[in-house]
Amino acid sequence: MAEKGQVNIDHLDGVVRLREEHEKVVKDCESRVLHWKKVSGDYEALNERLQTLPDQLTYDIMVPFGPLAFMPGKLVHTNEITALLGDNWFAKCSAKQAQKIVNHRMKYVKSKLEDLTKTMKNFEARVGFAKNLETMTANKSDYVDIREEAGNNDTAVSKGKQRIAHKPNSKPKLDAVLDLREDEENEGEGRDEESRKGILTEEELWARLDELEKLEELQDEQDRLSDNADMNGEDTSSLSSEEEKDGDAATPVNGLSLKPSWTSVPHSKASTSIDRKEEEDDEEEEGSSLPTIFFSHTVEPKKVRINTGKNTTLKFSERKEQKEHSKRKKKNGHNNGHSHHELHKITTPADIYRLFVDVKNGELIPRKSILKSRSRENSVCSDTSESSAADFEERRMIGRSFSHDEATHSDTSDGITEEDSPTAIPLHPANRFEAFSGTVVEKDPMPSAVPHLTIVPPALPTILERKQEEVAPDAPPPEQAPKRVSKFKAARLQQK
Amino acid sequence: MAEAIQKKLNAELEKYTQMQKDVRKSMSARQKLETQLTENNIVKEEMDLLDSTNTVYKLIGPVLVKQDLDEAKATVTKRLEYINGEIQRYETLLKDMEKKSEQHREVLSSLQQEFQRAQGLAVGKV
Repeated sequence: MAEKGQVNIDHLDGVVRLREEHEKVVKDCESRVLHWKKVSGDYEALNERLQTLPDQLTYDIMVPFGPLAFMPGKLVHTNEITALLGDNWFAKCSAKQAQKIVNHRMKYVKSKLEDLTKTMKNFEARVGFAKNLETMTANKSDYVDIREEAGNNDTAVSKGKQRIAHKPNSKPKLDAVLDLREDEENEGEGRDEESRKGILTEEELWARLDELEKLEELQDEQDRLSDNADMNGEDTSSLSSEEEKDGDAATPVNGLSLKPSWTSVPHSKASTSIDRKEEEDDEEEEGSSLPTIFFSHTVEPKKVRINTGKNTTLKFSERKEQKEHSKRKKKNGHNNGHSHHELHKITTPADIYRLFVDVKNGELIPRKSILKSRSRENSVCSDTSESSAADFEERRMIGRSFSHDEATHSDTSDGITEEDSPTAIPLHPANRFEAFSGTVVEKDPMPSAVPHLTIVPPALPTILERKQEEVAPDAPPPEQAPKRVSKFKAARLQQK
Repeated sequence: MAEAIQKKLNAELEKYTQMQKDVRKSMSARQKLETQLTENNIVKEEMDLLDSTNTVYKLIGPVLVKQDLDEAKATVTKRLEYINGEIQRYETLLKDMEKKSEQHREVLSSLQQEFQRAQGLAVGKV
């Protein structure tokens, strides 16, 4: 306590001195303000005089003669004024011109005055504060210094990070790339079924790509329409509905709408060929197969994305597949066989939602929003088990690595993933919730007549970055299509 | 030993005070330049308000010498540039001086410490 008292006293001295200094400044400001006010008054008087001077040709005045005497005289040439401009410069001018000069000077004086008053106010406030501080330190008992240990920002930070809402052109792209590769890899490497499907999907992928491109347009429209408010609900429904329709034309990308839009685009392209059926449910996966749609807010996304053969994805894929299975059976009976594969592949926006599934009590529950970074610990899509931030980065890394590895992998989507990776716009990082609630209500997708204009760049219209990225890869895709086919075939062959 | 340190200390102190004076001089010179700068700015602006019908005079000593308006404007502009250049020069000069004075301050403080230690030793010895 003695120490504290000592410290307090020191503080007190310091505070007192601070206050005194502040007061000095305030006083100085006051004096300057007075000075400038005087100057301003003088100029005002001068203005008046200039105004009235030319009224008469001559004036009878008492002329000062030295310091003590005056002499009667006349003031002539009343309109001719020799004005001192400053720095030993003079100018002969008329009374009006002189007035102009005076007004100009007045402006300057006013500005100075304003500045001074501002500083004065500022310092007055500081003085007040110093006074309070002084009383505080003097009377310790009255005031209490509230301190809080700032050590719990970690969770907050992490939480915040976890809850990062996806913004377009944010991570998703990276994830998408990763996922796509992963998806493709998974597709190729997955189960045997998948391998078969992989082959199919590869071919389908390409077709799907086209479809998805078309779907993108639809999605964009939907996204705009169902912005924010309906994101979760409508997305899933619209997605699902679109998915269903896409099953045929692979065009109802719009089902994805909203968030999926930018992700779906890649999805559509990627998954068009593969998971038409899955579109309904697996819009998310669509992206994964081709342009990977990776909703990877959290680390889990890696897992979420079933694409890659990595553990994480498998985990995810299994669940997803189950989910998708059930869904698919509802809609496309024939797709059951592909369910696994489709789960991994994201051919339609719905696939994406499939990917992002929350696991509660062992059941997969579609997330409402796949845009949000993993806010739910047990969501399948999000890497709930891992720190979101770290995982996210990892995922991205993985995604990238996957994308790179793609070439090495003999996955069906090998070629596609490479191309798609840039375009694959990960659905907003895993943090997205499952947009697809499981019920697919397909709306009529935009007619495939939708021009390919938008489709060509897999990039979601909302996300410029993606577009750029996608545009770049888009150019190659058509060229690579034939190559890809061969690659896929090669992959298939390898697999076999 | 203590005496030697003390002498050193005094010498350093003198140098330091000298430096401070120089710094202050440059500061004041710079301030003067600043006022001249503002003044010349105002003159320039006011000259812009005038036109060629007005005659401009320059005060040289006790004489008002007639000047051409354009010439006067040019002169004022040149003077402004000159003042700006001077200000820059003084700025750099001031910075250098500040640095030197800092160094001197450090030397001074270290010397002071030594001196105190030596004094303490001396006291202890005594």
